[in-house]
Amino acid sequence: MIEVRNLSKKYGSKEVLKNINVKFDKGKVYGIVGENGAGKTTLLRCIAGLESCDGEIISGLQPLKNHLGLLLTEPFFFSKITGMEYIRLLCNARNIKNDDIGSRNIFDLPLDQYASVYSTGMKKKLAITAILLQRNEYFILDEPFNGVDIQSNILITEIIHKLRELNKTVILSSHVFSTLSDTCDEIHMLSNGEFIESVTKENFQALEAKMRKVMIGDKIEKLGMI
Amino acid sequence: MANRSSAAKIPVKEYFDLQYKMTNRKLEEAGIRPLLGYLVLALIFPAFSYYLFYKTEFAEPIYVVVGLTLVGKLSEIRRNDFLKLCFGNNGRNKIRIIENLIMVLPFIIFLSCRFMLLSALTLTVAATLLSLLNFRATFNFVIPTPFHKRPFEFPMGFRNTFFLFLGAYGLTCIAVSADNFNLGIFAMLLVFAVAMSYFNKPENEYFVWIYGLTARWFLLEKIKTAILYSTILALPVAIILGIYYPQNLAAIVAFLLIGWAFLTFMIVSKYASYPDELNITQSVFLALSISFPPMLIALIPYLFHKSEKRLSSLLP
Repeated sequence: MIEVRNLSKKYGSKEVLKNINVKFDKGKVYGIVGENGAGKTTLLRCIAGLESCDGEIISGLQPLKNHLGLLLTEPFFFSKITGMEYIRLLCNARNIKNDDIGSRNIFDLPLDQYASVYSTGMKKKLAITAILLQRNEYFILDEPFNGVDIQSNILITEIIHKLRELNKTVILSSHVFSTLSDTCDEIHMLSNGEFIESVTKENFQALEAKMRKVMIGDKIEKLGMI
Repeated sequence: MANRSSAAKIPVKEYFDLQYKMTNRKLEEAGIRPLLGYLVLALIFPAFSYYLFYKTEFAEPIYVVVGLTLVGKLSEIRRNDFLKLCFGNNGRNKIRIIENLIMVLPFIIFLSCRFMLLSALTLTVAATLLSLLNFRATFNFVIPTPFHKRPFEFPMGFRNTFFLFLGAYGLTCIAVSADNFNLGIFAMLLVFAVAMSYFNKPENEYFVWIYGLTARWFLLEKIKTAILYSTILALPVAIILGIYYPQNLAAIVAFLLIGWAFLTFMIVSKYASYPDELNITQSVFLALSISFPPMLIALIPYLFHKSEKRLSSLLP
């Protein structure tokens, strides 16, 4: 369980997150949606402890960060570190012994090559592999489906289902609504740093329709194509 | 056509104006007034040069290599592709020749003042030729490293600088054949200096955050790995010197200890200003410690404590 109480975040005078209150239970998958700049990534970084913020973040296992696998939107890779060494670095950091990384290479990545020369999708898959091998209890996945091929997309969806079965807590953000409706138990909609709507599975369709209405509006007509 | 030729001239001037502004900004960000920075550099450079020539008889080739190493960094392929894209082939060549010559100019002046004209000429020609080459910084061949078990500083650093270790081992052999113990010690200190360079830039915060350790244990772990791996690198030099100069064993051990101390100092300095880069105070501390190493006994615990504080938000 992760509970966020009265979380606020300011950059200078600009308030990017306003009094967020939310609870993420064990064995459930949560989605965060919102426009670009709504504050999704900042919220996820604040929960992870990568950004300082006001408010409280409580978790079943303490400290949260030692049990949390964090996938960044654009994972950073050092210039001359191989895929294998990247995974080893993340496992070493949590004191996890992983002598058999090669056989756990589920995305068939060229682990003996420098990770910095991987494509965007391969980098994402490597980062996902590494946080899975860390054996975390909580997962924050910021845009896990970005740039990955269709096969890996299916595999990542299955992995998220498996994490739920294993009673893990998963929070993910995505710009593709269908990926969230396929995987999530609950979706929170963030706008201007506030949760404006939170819905469970049975209301996903209504939320998508509402998002379409709000976000698309008459923008297509404005193009003057029709 | 008139427009074209004037357009070909202007970007080069604009490019150097921009470089000047960027350098000034970097100095200001480091808390140094640009004018003062240039003045200090103008004083430090000749002082360092005089010191090098006073200290070793191999100063002349070392000096040329240092100059060329500085310009070598500018030949990185992506940087050169960008210049070609912006200024065309001729513009790129012109810029690269000018900037390489600007970089080595202080070296050329110093060598000329000491009437080492052949070295000055070699440096000028080599810097000009280097400006026309591109080095691919991200080639795909994976250089094997003995440090792959504990990423990231040493595996990455070793792959970037392995040739310097070959140079250090070569210098050790020269030291033994020329019966110059001091040169052997220089080779050992070179190994530690290279290892120290692995800790001169702050890493992305994610790679500190991932550790399931407190700030104190994180620092101790970094220091332990650095000492272990730097010892592996320095050991060939120490063993060869120990075999050929058994009477100087105490001095060899003392320099090993000094190497470890400077390496530890570098790590705690880095994290004392983390996530910012090393600041001017730490650079002054380093300069003072080089001239008076016992200062490290006080500086290391002080900076260790400061590092713990700086890391506490990421590693509570």
